[in-house]
Amino acid sequence: MNPVTLTLVTTFLAATIRMATPIALAGLGETVSERAGISNIGVEAIMLSGAYFSFWAMFQTSSVVLGLLAGIAGGVAASMIHAVLSIHYKADQTIAGLALNFLFLGLTSFLFLIQFGKTTTLPSIEIISRVKLPLLNRIPIIGPALFYQDSFVYLLFLCVILLFVLFYKTEWGVILKAVGENPRAADTAGIRVNMVRYSAACINGVLGGLGGAYLSTVKLGFFMENLTSGKGYIALVTVILGRRNPLGVLAAALVIGSAEALQIRLQTMGSLIPSQAFAMFPYLVTILVLLFSIGKSQDPSALGVPYERDKR
Amino acid sequence: MKRSVSNALSLTVVTCIVLGVSLLLIAMVGSSIPSSLSSFIRGIVGSTYSIGEVLVRATPLMLAALGVSIGFRTGFINIGAEGQIYLGAIAITWLGMTFPSLPPILMIFFAILVGFLAGGVWSVIPGILKAKFGLSEIINTIMLNYIAINLVGILVRTSLKDPSYPYPMSPILPPASYFPMLLLPTRLHAGFLLALICAVLVYLLMFRSSTGFCMRAVGLNKRASMCSGISVKSHMVLSALLSGGLAGLAGVSEIAGLHHRLIEGISPSYGYLAIVVSLLGKNHPFWIILSSLGIAALQVGSMAMQRSSGVPTSIASIIMGLLVIMILARKQFFGYREV
Repeated sequence: MNPVTLTLVTTFLAATIRMATPIALAGLGETVSERAGISNIGVEAIMLSGAYFSFWAMFQTSSVVLGLLAGIAGGVAASMIHAVLSIHYKADQTIAGLALNFLFLGLTSFLFLIQFGKTTTLPSIEIISRVKLPLLNRIPIIGPALFYQDSFVYLLFLCVILLFVLFYKTEWGVILKAVGENPRAADTAGIRVNMVRYSAACINGVLGGLGGAYLSTVKLGFFMENLTSGKGYIALVTVILGRRNPLGVLAAALVIGSAEALQIRLQTMGSLIPSQAFAMFPYLVTILVLLFSIGKSQDPSALGVPYERDKR
Repeated sequence: MKRSVSNALSLTVVTCIVLGVSLLLIAMVGSSIPSSLSSFIRGIVGSTYSIGEVLVRATPLMLAALGVSIGFRTGFINIGAEGQIYLGAIAITWLGMTFPSLPPILMIFFAILVGFLAGGVWSVIPGILKAKFGLSEIINTIMLNYIAINLVGILVRTSLKDPSYPYPMSPILPPASYFPMLLLPTRLHAGFLLALICAVLVYLLMFRSSTGFCMRAVGLNKRASMCSGISVKSHMVLSALLSGGLAGLAGVSEIAGLHHRLIEGISPSYGYLAIVVSLLGKNHPFWIILSSLGIAALQVGSMAMQRSSGVPTSIASIIMGLLVIMILARKQFFGYREV
């Protein structure tokens, strides 16, 4: 390959990874939650909350650490509202997720407008810079794409490996699965079902909050109303496509990320195909994948079903 | 007796909390509370025009929410009204552009028919997948929403595009496809009447016919329905068809009554709002008329409040989210369960 194509491939790969990171993080969070039997379609709200609060804290303190902590806290707060509704109040999890989306879409843009709405310039923060991993970034083609990225990307890889080990190699993974598949049996075995579900929801909040924080503090450096614009729903797609397996979720996020990167590239090249054709792609694939998985359902049996200890 | 007392009490508590939070939010902006509230109320009932605006906004919400409620009653959780609205809008645009010389009566009749069918097909797909194969309709309807939105984006740039404009939109449709205006100079159109008629029809179907009884039975207990000889699958599919069809009508009404051409973003989340409307209206057509008017008034009023007092309109979204969360929590908190 000549050097020009080589650089093109590298930038394309790097763009793919940058597109995939936020949705993969949020998708991993939702994976943990769904494995425990909590289906939260309010990922959008978790991400928005993470995006806003990390931006807000970084704007006020210009500290990266505080910004990330605030983003995580925002995500956890959103996720916990959903968890309390679905675990304690045994509410319909879909409706609760939907309500969460409305609440946080309103709340983040409300807070943003009353704090920053009076200025004419868009308030911005310095985006978190990239880190070059020594030696590794010298690998041709993939080196610069994989190992000259921001810390979120490394964190994502770490999370994927960590969750993979946790899910399939530790007792914690078995407990999580038991709670999602058969909460009564888990309860009989002495597992505190609701505690496990709350912690799963908490992890969902942490990862979703980080995914949202990525958008405002790394990708854009500013916040605006409805910043996530559907990224939370795409995260749900990665969970389905990835079959609730961390590696699968990462792979799905990368495929969707590459579609997005391709779309942007084609737009700049003035392609005649409307970009919506590419934007539609992941959703179509999700339905097709669901179609092909008919009869071998991968869903945890107790997904979306509240556990009622005193009922048969 | 005891239940109605606790019910009234819980409703009062919910109302007080929501009101309290709204006042707190207005105070946070730094606007004066009395003047904000008066601009909110004047924005809703201050003039004929503002009342008309509320009714105009309630129309798509009511139609889509009626659809959502049929699905909910049958146990088909239709999150896809948003996409079904867009499909209805595509259908009437296609009809108007393909057969521009139809006389008004036929045009409106066919517009309603193809709009209903297009929305219905968009919802029957996940309906059949759920009824026959047990696939979750929640994910499928959400996916179909995004597919529909992108489909509109493609169509207004390609086959339905107005060639004389550089912008992505369809040409103006022939006047034969317009709904009559009801109350000039307001924007109120006959779509509102259509919505009211649909509410009555949905009531007759769901609560005064054996088909409706079977559909509600399926929603309450699939297994018991099956054991007593009710075909669960066919009622599920029928409910999905009607559910999507009504949302499709919302799309038809937005084009025929307001925009008269297909543009992107004709539905600012009406499909998702419809779920809130249906929930607040207890999935009952007559309560849905009230709740759609309520949500429409909340939105129209908050827009007026933004214009005159600078309170961001997003306050409406906060109030709605909070309201639904409180209602979900209330069922347990006060030992209240919907039958």
